[in-house]
Amino acid sequence: MAGLELLSEQGFRLDGRRAGELRQLRARMGVFAQADGSAYLEQGNTKALAVVYGPHELRGSRGKAPHAQALVNCQYSMATFSTAERKRRPHGDRASAEMSLHLKQTFEAALLTRLFPRSQIDIYVQILQADGGNYCAAVNAATLALLDAGIPMRDYVCACSAGFLEDTALADLNYVEEAAGGPQLALALLPQAQHIALLELNARLHQDHLPRVLDAATQACRHLHALLDRVVREHLRDAAALLGK
Amino acid sequence: MLTSRTFLKRTRAGAVRKIVREHYLRDDIGCGLGGCALCGGESRPALEARPGGAASSLCPGPHFLLPDTNLLLHQIDILEDPVITNVIILQTVLQEVRNRSAPVYKRIKDVINKQEKHFYSFTNEHHKDTYIEQEKGENSNDRNDRAIRVAVKWYSEHLQKLQMEEKVQIILLTNDRKNKEKAVEEGITAYTCEEYIKSLIANPELVDRLASLNDEGNEIETGRIIFAEHLPLSKLQQGIKSNLYLQGTFRANRENYLEATVWIHGDGEEKEIIIQGLRNLNRAVHEDIVAVELLPKAAWAAPSSVVLHDDENQNEDDVEQEEEKEKSLRTSSSNSMLRPTGRVVGIIKRNWRPFCGMLSKSQIKEARRHLFTPADRRIPRIRIETRQASTLEGQRIIVAIDGWPRNSRYPNGHFVKNLGAAGDKETETEVLLLEHDVPHQPFSQSVLSFLPKMPWSITDQDMKCREDLRHLCVCSVDPPGCTDIDDALHCRVLENGNLEVGVHIADVSHFIRPGNALDQESAKRGTTVYLCEKRIDMVPELLSSNLCSLRSNVDRLAFSCIWEMNHSAEILKTRFTKSVINSKASLTYAEAQMKIDSPSMNDDITTSLRGLNKLARILKKCRIDNGALTLSSPEVRFHMDSETHDPIDLQTKELKETNSMVEEFMLLANISVAQKIYDEFSEHALLRKHPAPPPSNYDILVKAAKSKGLEIKTDSAKALADSLDSAEFPSFPYLNTLLRILATRCMMQAVYFCSGMDNDFHHYGLASPIYTHFTSPIRRYADIIVHRLLAVAIGADCTYPDLTDKHKLADLCRNLNYRHKMAQYAQRASVAFHTQLFFKSKGVVNEEAYILFVRKNAIVVLIPKYGLEGTVFFEEKDKPKPTLLYNDEVPSLTVESTTFYTFDRVTVNIMLDASNVQHQKIRMALVEPKLVGTSVPSQATQLNSNNEPKKKKLKE
Amino acid sequence: MAPARYCVPGERLCSLEEGTPGSGTYTHHGFIFASLAGCFMKKSENGMLPVVSVMRDVDSQLLPDVGATVTCKVCSINSRFAKVHILYVGSTPLKSPFRGTIRREDIRATEKDKVEVYKSFRPGDIVLAKVISLGDVQSNYLLTTAENELGVVVAHSEADVRMVPISWCEMQCPSTHAKELRKVARVQPEFLQT
Repeated sequence: MAGLELLSEQGFRLDGRRAGELRQLRARMGVFAQADGSAYLEQGNTKALAVVYGPHELRGSRGKAPHAQALVNCQYSMATFSTAERKRRPHGDRASAEMSLHLKQTFEAALLTRLFPRSQIDIYVQILQADGGNYCAAVNAATLALLDAGIPMRDYVCACSAGFLEDTALADLNYVEEAAGGPQLALALLPQAQHIALLELNARLHQDHLPRVLDAATQACRHLHALLDRVVREHLRDAAALLGK
Repeated sequence: MLTSRTFLKRTRAGAVRKIVREHYLRDDIGCGLGGCALCGGESRPALEARPGGAASSLCPGPHFLLPDTNLLLHQIDILEDPVITNVIILQTVLQEVRNRSAPVYKRIKDVINKQEKHFYSFTNEHHKDTYIEQEKGENSNDRNDRAIRVAVKWYSEHLQKLQMEEKVQIILLTNDRKNKEKAVEEGITAYTCEEYIKSLIANPELVDRLASLNDEGNEIETGRIIFAEHLPLSKLQQGIKSNLYLQGTFRANRENYLEATVWIHGDGEEKEIIIQGLRNLNRAVHEDIVAVELLPKAAWAAPSSVVLHDDENQNEDDVEQEEEKEKSLRTSSSNSMLRPTGRVVGIIKRNWRPFCGMLSKSQIKEARRHLFTPADRRIPRIRIETRQASTLEGQRIIVAIDGWPRNSRYPNGHFVKNLGAAGDKETETEVLLLEHDVPHQPFSQSVLSFLPKMPWSITDQDMKCREDLRHLCVCSVDPPGCTDIDDALHCRVLENGNLEVGVHIADVSHFIRPGNALDQESAKRGTTVYLCEKRIDMVPELLSSNLCSLRSNVDRLAFSCIWEMNHSAEILKTRFTKSVINSKASLTYAEAQMKIDSPSMNDDITTSLRGLNKLARILKKCRIDNGALTLSSPEVRFHMDSETHDPIDLQTKELKETNSMVEEFMLLANISVAQKIYDEFSEHALLRKHPAPPPSNYDILVKAAKSKGLEIKTDSAKALADSLDSAEFPSFPYLNTLLRILATRCMMQAVYFCSGMDNDFHHYGLASPIYTHFTSPIRRYADIIVHRLLAVAIGADCTYPDLTDKHKLADLCRNLNYRHKMAQYAQRASVAFHTQLFFKSKGVVNEEAYILFVRKNAIVVLIPKYGLEGTVFFEEKDKPKPTLLYNDEVPSLTVESTTFYTFDRVTVNIMLDASNVQHQKIRMALVEPKLVGTSVPSQATQLNSNNEPKKKKLKE
Repeated sequence: MAPARYCVPGERLCSLEEGTPGSGTYTHHGFIFASLAGCFMKKSENGMLPVVSVMRDVDSQLLPDVGATVTCKVCSINSRFAKVHILYVGSTPLKSPFRGTIRREDIRATEKDKVEVYKSFRPGDIVLAKVISLGDVQSNYLLTTAENELGVVVAHSEADVRMVPISWCEMQCPSTHAKELRKVARVQPEFLQT
C-alpha cells in the first residue's frame, strides 16, 4: 500500500489543514484549585495539564540553588495512556528528562527570577494525550499556569513545531507528520520582543531551507500568542465578574 | 470545524491498534468553476464555465463528468483521450486509486495537471457539505460510494444555484450497477461508461478503447476453466510469513514461452525457481510480483535448453497442443541440472504497461476479437476487440492488458494507439524507443527556456573564477562525424623536465544549473541514446553540439584535470580547475594516427600527440599488469547510404592505437576524480563499480575452453587476463577472440552507486579500487553530478540540498542504471533492425561462422565478418525430425551422426525471413558440414580454405 | 468603578518618563512592561510621577525580604539558636511556611552573651521578628528579635493557658499565676486586644 500522503497536490494535509495552519486550540486556566496556578491546554488531540507551585522555600539541598535567583524546577511526564501503545515507564526515562530540562531552560529565560532569591518555583506538566507537538503544548500550558499563579514573567512563551516536506514548510505537526521522519523544528518564542527562548531541530535540514521553516514556526507562534491572549483576557474578566468588582 | 476519525488498524505484529485522527472540515474549498460567485472564484479555475466537451446524445447540454474509482482504474485510457474534458475527480476516488494502483495514479495526476484538459480535483473529504461519516453496518466501499453520490448531489445543487444562462448538468459515470441504481433513486443522472462513450456522436473510435471487463455476475462462462484460482492477498501474506509460499519477481523466458523463472527476494542472496507449463505459470505476466509454491523434489525440472515460440498459426484455444509441448520440455536430464521448481499460486502485484506490437488478424472474417502479438517475446499474446482490424493490420499498435480470466487462454486487453506501418523505419524506431522506455519527445518550452540566449560568449565574470588555458596546445580526437566533443587533451614538457598532461572536459554543469526544468529533464533521460541513424540527445542540441562541445578554434569553458608526470608515467602532482580552453584541432582517430606515424610532421599538435601516445602505452601496460581485462565484442558499424539512409555495408570496427590512447587518459582522469570526490564526500560520492562475477558465471567459458584442451583460471582478474592471453591455439587464431567474446558474456553489469549506501567499490574489469564517470557530461547525467561534486570539492561552486542527500542520490543512481541498461538494449535492437534491412537488400549470403553455444535443438553461431549472432535450428516444421542427442556436460549436440562442439567452424547461409513481419528473423541454415536433410546447398562459391581444426567425423 | 483595563505579561504600559514602575512590572530599554496578568493601576502621587502597577485579585506570594517584619512560630530550640516557621510576612499570610533561624546572639540587643535561649523562647510561641539575611548554602532565613517591638507576642504556659506579659522578660499565666521567662515584644497599646 502506498504510504500516507502528507501533503496533497491541492495543498491540503492529512487532516485537511493547509501548510501554515494551526490545529484547534482550547485552553482553560485555574482548573486545579489546590495549586497556586494551573492550566489545561488542548492543541488538536494533544492534551497537556500544567500545575505551578510557588514561589516557596527551597526543598532539597540548598547547594543546587542559584545565588540570588529563584530555582525553577520542572517535571515533564507523560501518562501511560497518552500514546497509542501503553507506555511502560512514565517517569525518569531519558526523553522525559530531556523535556524537563528544555522546559527549565525555557522558563528560566522568561520568568523574572531575580525577584525571588532563595526560593523555588515548581512547574509540573503532565501530557494526557500525545498526538505530536508534546513539548510545544507543554510550554503553552505552563505559560498559562504561570500566569494563573501570578508569577511575574517577562512575556508569554509561545511554542510551536514546524517541519519541511516537499519544498513546503508545515506548521504545527501532528503525530503522523512527525513519525514520517522529516526534519522537525520546535520553537519557543517570546512574541512581543521576538526573542527565541528555545530552538530545537532534529534530523538534517539544508541551510537554504532553514529561514523558511523558521519563518513558518514564528508565524505560528504569533497566531498562538493571539489565541492565548484571548483566553487569558477572558479568564481575567470572568474572575473579576465572579468577585463582583 | 473539527471532527475526528477513529478506526481500528492491524499492525504488522498482528496486534490491533485504535487510530484517532483529527479531520478538519473547511468552508473555503471551491467547486473549481471559473468565476463562480458562490465560491468566491478560483484564482486558477480548472473547469470551464461552459464546458465544451464532446457532444453526447444522452446529455445534449453542456455537462461535467464525475467518474468513480473502478472507472478511473480501468478506463484511464479513455480519460486521457483529448476528446474528454471537464471532468471532476473527487478526493475519495483519487485516494482509492492511489492505494490500488500507483501507475494509474501517476497518469491521472499528469492528466489533472494538463491545463487544456480542464480536470479538477475536488477535495470532498474536507468540504463541510460533502463529508460523511461511516454509518453503522456500512463497510468502507459502500461509504465511499455514498460519499461520491453526496458530492454529485452537492454539485448539482450548487450548479442550480449559480443560475447561469445554460443549465449545466453533472453526470456520474460508474460501472457499478448497485451504485447506479442508488444514484438514479436519489435523482442523480448516472450512466455506465459504455453507455456514455457509445452516445458520443462525433467520436465512435473511443468505443474501441473501452476496456473489456469481466461482467461481475457471470464468472463461469462457457469454456472450461484452464487455470487455478489465484489465492487472495491475505492468504498469500500468511503463506509467505509461514514460509509456505515464496515471493519474487516473475521473469518470463524469452526463448521459451512455456517456461519462466521467479527471482525470489531473499535477504542478500537471490534464489531462482523455475516454472514450467502453462498451468503452473497461472496467468503471471513478465515483471509481476508473484507468490510461488515449491513443488516436491520429485517434480523438480532442469532449465530447458529448448527454444520454443508461441506459434502464429496455432489455433487459439487448443490447450492440448500446449500440453504436448510441455511434455517435450521434461526430458530426462542429469540430477545436477535440476533446479527448484514451483507453481504460481497468486499474484501480489501486477506490473502491466502498454505494449507495442502487431495485430494478427483472426481467420474468421467479420470477427471482432483478434489476437495481438507484442514485440517483446516475454509477453503473452493479448486478445482485443476492435472494429478497425483491417486498418490496423500491418501496423504497429499499442495495447494495454485489462485482465486474464481463468477460462481464457490469453489475457484480455484494449487498443490504445496506432503508431504507423510496420517495417517502416520511423515506426520501428518509435517502437524500439517505446519498448525500451527511452524518453524521446522533443524538449518542451519550459526546458528550452533555461538555455542561454544566443549569441553567447564568455563573460568577464566567468573568466574570473577560471584559469586561462587558451595558450595551451589542446586538441581532441573523436570518431568521424562526431559533433558532441566532450574531451580534449594536451601534453607538454615543463621546465623541470617533467611532463604536464591535461584532460579537459566540457563544463556542462555551468550551463545546467541544479533544480531547473532542464536539469530535471536531463536527469530523467539519464544518457544519450545512439541508434544507428539517429541520436536521442540527453541535452538540447544548442548545448551538446555547440556551446558545450569543445570545437576547434573557439573559446570554450572546460573542467580540467592536470597531472605532472615523469617520463615513466608516474603521477607526481594532480590538480583540478575550471578553465577556458581553445582547442587547436578536432581530429579523427585515423587523422591522429597518421600524424603520429608520419615522420615529416613535427608541429606542436603532433609532438603533443606523440607524448600522449608514449605515456598511454606505459599506462596501459601498468593496468594490464594489475589485472585489467581486455575483452572484445564484435562491434560493427553501418555505412549508410546518404540518401535513403539504408545500410550499404557492415564493417567491424577497427581499434587503432589512438583509440587506446584516448581511452587510457579518460580512465586515468576518471580514477583521479573518483579519488578526489570520495575524499571530500565519503557519504555522497557518485561512483561506479563493477562487481566480480560469481564463479558459476564462468562455467560456460571454462567448459568451452576445456573442450579445446585449454585452461582458464577464474580466481582473480589477473589470473583470468593471463590465462586468456595464453589461451592460444596455433592452428586456430580466431579462438582467442572467441574466448574473449564468451568472457564478455560472463561479466556482470557495471553500475552507479552512492558511496554512503554501499561498501564495495571495486571495479573488476579495470582492476581499479575506485572509479567513476567524469569524462562525458554531454551524454551522461552521472558525469554532470560528478562535475558538481568536484566543483564543490575545489571550491568553485556551492552545494545544493539534493546533492548532499544520499537517499536522493541512491534513487538517481537507480534511475541512471535503468536508463543505461535500456539504452544499451535499444542500441542493440537498432543494430539488429538495420542488420535485417541490410540482409533484405542483399538477398542470400554464405559466410563462415563459429559455434558459440550449443543448445538442445539448435546451435548459436557467430559470423565474425558481420559481427552477427544467429541460431541454426535443426527441427523444421514440415520436414522429418532428425535424431538429436544433447550432452550438456561437454556441451555437445549430435545431429544424426555429426557432433557439434563449441568453437567448431561451420559455414552458414544467411537470409532474411520476413514471414513474421514483427520479428523478421535472420535465418541461418547450415551449409557445411553437410547434413542430409538439413543442410542447404551453398549458393555462393565462397569456400573457406583457412586451416581447419581437427574436425570430428563428418558424414558425407 | 471604571471598567478595568487588563494587561498581560509583555505588554508595554508606558515609558519611564510617564511613570515609575510599581509591583507587577519591569523595565526594559526605557519602557515599563507588565509582568503579571491583571488590572492595570496608575496611582498618581502628589508631585511625583504616578506609580504604574498591575494588580491581581489574589495577591501573589510574598517572600520574606531583608528588613521585613515577620510573624513566626517557634518549633524547636537548643542552646545556640531557635528554629522557627515563618507564617506571616507583614500582615500577609504565607501559603506555605518558610523556615528561619534566630541565633542566640540575635535575640537581644544588649548583653548578647548572657542570653539563654531557654529563657527567651519556648516551642509553640508566636514571635515577631525581623529578617536580617536570606541565608546562604548552609542556613535558612536568619531572623533577629533584637528590638523592643520584637519578640514573643503570644505564648502558652505549661497549663496551656495563654499568658499575659508583665515585663520585657516575663510573662504570667493568669490561672496558675506562675511566671515564665520570655523575651517579650512591646506591642503598641492600640494593637492590644483587651
